[in-house]
Amino acid sequence: MDHHMTGPLLGNLVIIAICGAITVACFVTMFWMLFRPGETDLHHPKYDILRDDR
Amino acid sequence: MTQMATTYSSGTFKEDDRALAKIFAGYSISAAAWLLFATFVGIVLAYKFGAPEFGSGAWLTFGRLRPIHTNATFYGFASIALVGLAYYVAVRSCRTAIYSTRLAWLGLALFNVAAIAGTIALDLGYSAGDLEYREWPWPIRVIFLAALLVTAWNLVATVARRSTEDIYLSNWYMMGGVLWTCIIAVVAILPWYQYGLGQVAVSGFYMHNAVGMWFTPLALGTFYYALPRLLNRPIYSYALGVFAFWTNLVFYPIIGSHHFLFSPLPWWLQTTAIVFSVAMLVPVLGGSANFLLTIRGHFGQMRESYPLAFIFVGVVGYLVGSTQGTFEAFRSLQAVWHLTNFTVGHSHLTMYGFVTFAIWGGTYALLPAATGKYPAQAGLALHFWMALVGSFIYVVSLSIGGTIQGMDWVNQLPFIQSVVDMQPFYVWRGVGGLLMFLSHFVYAWNVWRMTYGSSAKTVPQGSSQIVEDVT
Repeated sequence: MDHHMTGPLLGNLVIIAICGAITVACFVTMFWMLFRPGETDLHHPKYDILRDDR
Repeated sequence: MTQMATTYSSGTFKEDDRALAKIFAGYSISAAAWLLFATFVGIVLAYKFGAPEFGSGAWLTFGRLRPIHTNATFYGFASIALVGLAYYVAVRSCRTAIYSTRLAWLGLALFNVAAIAGTIALDLGYSAGDLEYREWPWPIRVIFLAALLVTAWNLVATVARRSTEDIYLSNWYMMGGVLWTCIIAVVAILPWYQYGLGQVAVSGFYMHNAVGMWFTPLALGTFYYALPRLLNRPIYSYALGVFAFWTNLVFYPIIGSHHFLFSPLPWWLQTTAIVFSVAMLVPVLGGSANFLLTIRGHFGQMRESYPLAFIFVGVVGYLVGSTQGTFEAFRSLQAVWHLTNFTVGHSHLTMYGFVTFAIWGGTYALLPAATGKYPAQAGLALHFWMALVGSFIYVVSLSIGGTIQGMDWVNQLPFIQSVVDMQPFYVWRGVGGLLMFLSHFVYAWNVWRMTYGSSAKTVPQGSSQIVEDVT
């Protein structure tokens, strides 16, 4: 749905390209972390909160 | 000497634990009272859709009751409940005592004074009506800001005196949320942003960030602590949780402008808001996957552990509601859904399906650990199923009805046609809302049993792993 307030096409494409590149990079990082979580060291803080609080 | 020191230390810990339990109980009771009040007003509003002539007095008009409902939910219920949870999580995960019990009580008093004064002012007609979620007159919003500052000071100081080496992930989210909200609350008061297009831009900034930079980080912080404690297993990926925190912080603040597409706001601001709304899928999908992969292999526990079931629904609400928000930001879809009841369904999916279920899951998981008292399993079950079924009916009916309403407008049918088409969905909205409201009585009763009432004789299953004796 075109609208006269959506701005110039070229400007929109530039923003989409720059912000889109940042977004894609973040997606790649997210999936990399999902597939390779690591963190097997038992001294990692994520294990620490499972121990007694006191 | 060593023995004396140990005895003293142990006694001090007990004292600190009792003080923390009282604070957590105070915040939870106050939040439950506000939830009952806010959703009672919501029920009246839902009834007025079917019977608009009901309540003809000025103080019962939709224009006054609607902001009372939203502000009481936001700043009475959700804010107070999440701050209570944040104090508990900060103290426990940092293995320390709360920095100041006086500041915690002062914060609770200020939150309540602001919410009571705001409610009275709105019902008397003193409303900044064109500023969504900041309709309270500005002096009352200054009281709310004072409550935030007191909370931020106390929370950061508590984490600063931690005995652990690292700052656990939950505290990143909770401190970040409180500090960020101090900033947006200040921006919302600055007089030079209260007129013209600047007001529009700040409206988008404030009302969207009031949800995404206040309730979201505190609810996620609750997940990151309560879920591992309930399951007795660590979060799937700690690094992904940190990454989601930073991507949320980078992408979220600017996207509020997607509420004002096709407006005179600069086109580049609108386009950036749309693209970063897509980028928000990174913390949303990553965060949700992180929680679900933590639960993986233990989904069966939900049959017995209602705290876990509440948290699971909260995670699903976060995933579905936030993804829906991304799609709503597209110009083509917003042209249909904007200003329709679809948006009301979306806001209830996020604030209720995500944030409120997160609060309930966190409260049921952690409050008994603080007080040593439990609700009955039947009370948990009744609350869970009424709230879940009620909110499902509510969100689905408004989503379908809102889409029909939007299509009527796109097809340029007479406006009254969209009102007629919405009628059955308004009835279903009332049915769902009534179930949700009734479930809140059960929640209030459960909170009472976990605090000053009589504890259940048998400990509900799935709660026993995080019991700490404070007697």
